Amino acid sequence: MSGSSSLLSWILWMPMIGVLGVLLIPKAKENAIRFWALINTAMTMILSAVLYMKFDNTIPGMQSALEIKKSWISQFNIHYHLAVDGISLPMILLTSLLLFICILASWTVKKQIKGYFALLLFLQSTVYGVFMAMDFFLFYVYWEVMLIPMFFLIGIWGGENREYAAVKFFLYTFFGSILMLVGMVALYFVTGQGEDSFNILAMSGGKFKDLTVDLFGYALPFAKVFFIALFIGFAIKVPVFPFHTWLPHAHVQAPTAISVILAGVLLKMGTYGFLRIAYPIFPSASVYFSDAIAWLGLINVIYGAFCAMAQTDVKKLVAYSSVSHMGFVMLGLAAMTVQGMNGAVLQMFNHGTSTAMMFLLIGILYERSHHRWIVRPDGTKGFGGLYTQLPVFSIVFIIAMFASMGLPGLSGFISEALIFLGIYERFTTITVIAVLGLLLGAAYLLWMFKRMFFGEVIEENKSYTDMNAREVFYMVPLCVAVILFGIWPSPLLDMMKASVGKLVSLLAMY
Amino acid sequence: MALQYLASLSHYVPEAIMCLTMVFLIMVESSYDNNLKGSAKGMLYSTAYLGLLSVFVLLVAKIGNEPVTIFTGSLVIDPFSNIAKIVMVIGTAAAIYLSRVSKDIYEEVKAEYVILAVGILIGGLLLSSANNMLILYIGVETLSILSYVMASLKKNDERSSEAGLKYALYGGVTSGIMLFGMSHIFGVLGTIQFSEIYTGMSAITSSDALILMPAFLMFFAGIGYKIACVPFHMWSPDVYEGAPLPVTNFFSIVPKVAGIIVIVRVTNVFFAGSENILKESWIVLLMIISALTMTVGNVAAIGQRSVKRMLAYSSISHAGVMLLGVVVIGEIGNRAILFYAITYLFMTTVAFYVTSFVQDHYGNDHFERFNGLLKNHPLMAILMSIVMFSLAGLPPLSGFVAKFNILSAVISEKYYVLAAIAGFNSVISLYYYLKIVKNMIFRDSESEESVSLFDFKSQAIIAAFSIPVVVLGIFWEQVLVIANGAKLFIQ
Repeated sequence: MSGSSSLLSWILWMPMIGVLGVLLIPKAKENAIRFWALINTAMTMILSAVLYMKFDNTIPGMQSALEIKKSWISQFNIHYHLAVDGISLPMILLTSLLLFICILASWTVKKQIKGYFALLLFLQSTVYGVFMAMDFFLFYVYWEVMLIPMFFLIGIWGGENREYAAVKFFLYTFFGSILMLVGMVALYFVTGQGEDSFNILAMSGGKFKDLTVDLFGYALPFAKVFFIALFIGFAIKVPVFPFHTWLPHAHVQAPTAISVILAGVLLKMGTYGFLRIAYPIFPSASVYFSDAIAWLGLINVIYGAFCAMAQTDVKKLVAYSSVSHMGFVMLGLAAMTVQGMNGAVLQMFNHGTSTAMMFLLIGILYERSHHRWIVRPDGTKGFGGLYTQLPVFSIVFIIAMFASMGLPGLSGFISEALIFLGIYERFTTITVIAVLGLLLGAAYLLWMFKRMFFGEVIEENKSYTDMNAREVFYMVPLCVAVILFGIWPSPLLDMMKASVGKLVSLLAMY
Repeated sequence: MALQYLASLSHYVPEAIMCLTMVFLIMVESSYDNNLKGSAKGMLYSTAYLGLLSVFVLLVAKIGNEPVTIFTGSLVIDPFSNIAKIVMVIGTAAAIYLSRVSKDIYEEVKAEYVILAVGILIGGLLLSSANNMLILYIGVETLSILSYVMASLKKNDERSSEAGLKYALYGGVTSGIMLFGMSHIFGVLGTIQFSEIYTGMSAITSSDALILMPAFLMFFAGIGYKIACVPFHMWSPDVYEGAPLPVTNFFSIVPKVAGIIVIVRVTNVFFAGSENILKESWIVLLMIISALTMTVGNVAAIGQRSVKRMLAYSSISHAGVMLLGVVVIGEIGNRAILFYAITYLFMTTVAFYVTSFVQDHYGNDHFERFNGLLKNHPLMAILMSIVMFSLAGLPPLSGFVAKFNILSAVISEKYYVLAAIAGFNSVISLYYYLKIVKNMIFRDSESEESVSLFDFKSQAIIAAFSIPVVVLGIFWEQVLVIANGAKLFIQ
């Protein structure tokens, strides 16, 4: 059953080779560890590029030439099953790019370098695992394992309140995945414990429409009950209101590179879960609950924007803007139309690049200022007149900000426009209110920009230096991505079109 | 007749060896000078290890054997009990080693600990093979009476004596109740043989069922008390608190596994062969008991300051999880329980070992004592973290696989709510397991100077016990095959 190519396995395990290497290098040789990690992620990036070359845009669904399937636990029919389609490929490419950049951005980490890079690479591997696994059990294992490196990365290298943030993040996500576990095992028995009982692909297509499940003496529809179980698991990751409370803490306390990965990749795992598992397996329930998903998405957009506006900590502001932007993705998912879904997947990618830029820039600023207050608790300004002090930094910041605002010509615009096109017919009211959310987004970002970059240069800002060559170097690819996909999104859209189309046509049947 | 007995004996060599070992241990112990320190009695420990090792080898060699009943059907040697026995033997050996290095056991009673541990193991072996009520009762009593002594091993410590006394009182009452229940069962079914009960159960009338239900409940009280399931868990906080750490370690493995195995056997004997009202109500009762046991154990563990107590409470909740497997009367449940017992052995042993060394150094085992362990002993801190994650049930560790097996057994019978309760309990347990991890890894130790808590040999043993925790999380197919092959034998 296995395909001819083991490329996916190589991408999946390359970071683990990196982990081994990091562990073997003596602790004192810090630069060797850094360069090894950099080379490792560069190699993974090259492999991902090869994957992109080999990818056939015209095939809807999984690329059988790249599929790998081996038996793992035969009693339970659990397989080591990797595959890639147009929905997961953008995420894999994004992960490869962001991790390379994160290694560069982590150059200044001082504490326990060996452990840091080992965990970072380990995290990378588990993220690939989530995006590639086509076996539900394997997916679940990677989904959970990922929590362990995240817990340590936030807890050891994070800010002041890191312990609380790490534990909260861990418990929240673990709670969500428990429901997913129950759903997964239930599916296993419902499908008859056969060869394909953990196979995500084989289970898709609304096979469970007519089943019922007996809970507290009531016969409830199986699909709806377990859609909710999966929904909560994924929604915590996205995070969908009201499951979002872990996010501001985790984001603010995490070190820069980890915030980038968290916002850039991990949040996408939640929406990816909808696209890969919840929607295809329970299409009828997805359609049934799409109204609720749309409303929750709307709450995310508006509530996230208002929360962002109230923040005085710039990193927290960006964290809440993520909540708001992921709301757009949820809206696109609720649309269940070709444009909406394409927009959602595109937004997953574009938000990944633009938020990563924002967090990286805040990290760069923090290394100079050692605080992130727009307005300090005592009411004085934290930053002022940065524009005259840090011209290069400001230009990059403007690009990132406008991209995340959704200014035409930059990447955020295309995806948000597609999402609105997609949902307008089904949810006109929601669309109108959500557009208001865009306006709010512009408001809080521009207001933040005004307060930080314009006005009088405050005294302590005068000593700040502009971005150095390393920092410019790792910002360039993201700037290019943001501008390029704003003008010419078709490489991405072509990649996902066929697979998204397949999913939409499945949903359209219900 | 004599020949039959000899043939029976040939199947009973492991238990016989264990009994002989105990006798030898007493002889060796009495040959030592009175003033010699307990941990210096090398011969004593060698004898114990030799006995345990030979039993272990014999049991492993018998893993695939066909089940037999011996001594005119009063004992059964089946693959199921074999695996449980292997788990108990390893657990005992590990506990004996810990008792030798631990400072929590006074030097003058170290030899007694070894002898008692072997004695309790004999009770456990007897229990897991019991094939009639009488043997079962003897097994429970052997296990219990020696446990009472062991709990009060710290002779001049008030709390330890109190623990022993409480344990004895509770134990006495419950075994009385159990005997009472047994007599009713005998009264209704006219037999104490499990194989005859198995066939007899399918022919009971409704009036029989009316007597059998309370009788069975009373019978269950005796065993439920041994595994400390709610509502028979009241004794455990005091005993776990008062008893020295190696004793707590031992109590959370050997008697617990033995108790679970007996519950599995008894439940299968009574209910696997027939469908009746009794079975349904029994399942509902077990569901409630297991859900309560998990939850009470976990909630109580949250508030603990001492890691030993935390581990003790969490062992109650683990017993609750294993009970879930009993709810599913049948092979899939039994297999899951065996797998759980195997992984639980390794995880608990590592956790107690690390705690014991920390306690010996600092004088107590509060959570703060684990601060900064990563700096002093990186390997130990990492292994302890792995074990904590595994106990909470995170993949890809064996604790997750064990929970997955139990959950799949439960869900195969469509008890979704029960499965969800078990899942949420994992989340609760993660909270207190994380407390140790964050103390070890995120915080700095109270003093700057580096301290050495572990000697090399103990580190090696801890590392060796940690290997299965990781390996069984990824390559669990073989163990599952073995557990699957370990069928319970009833007729």
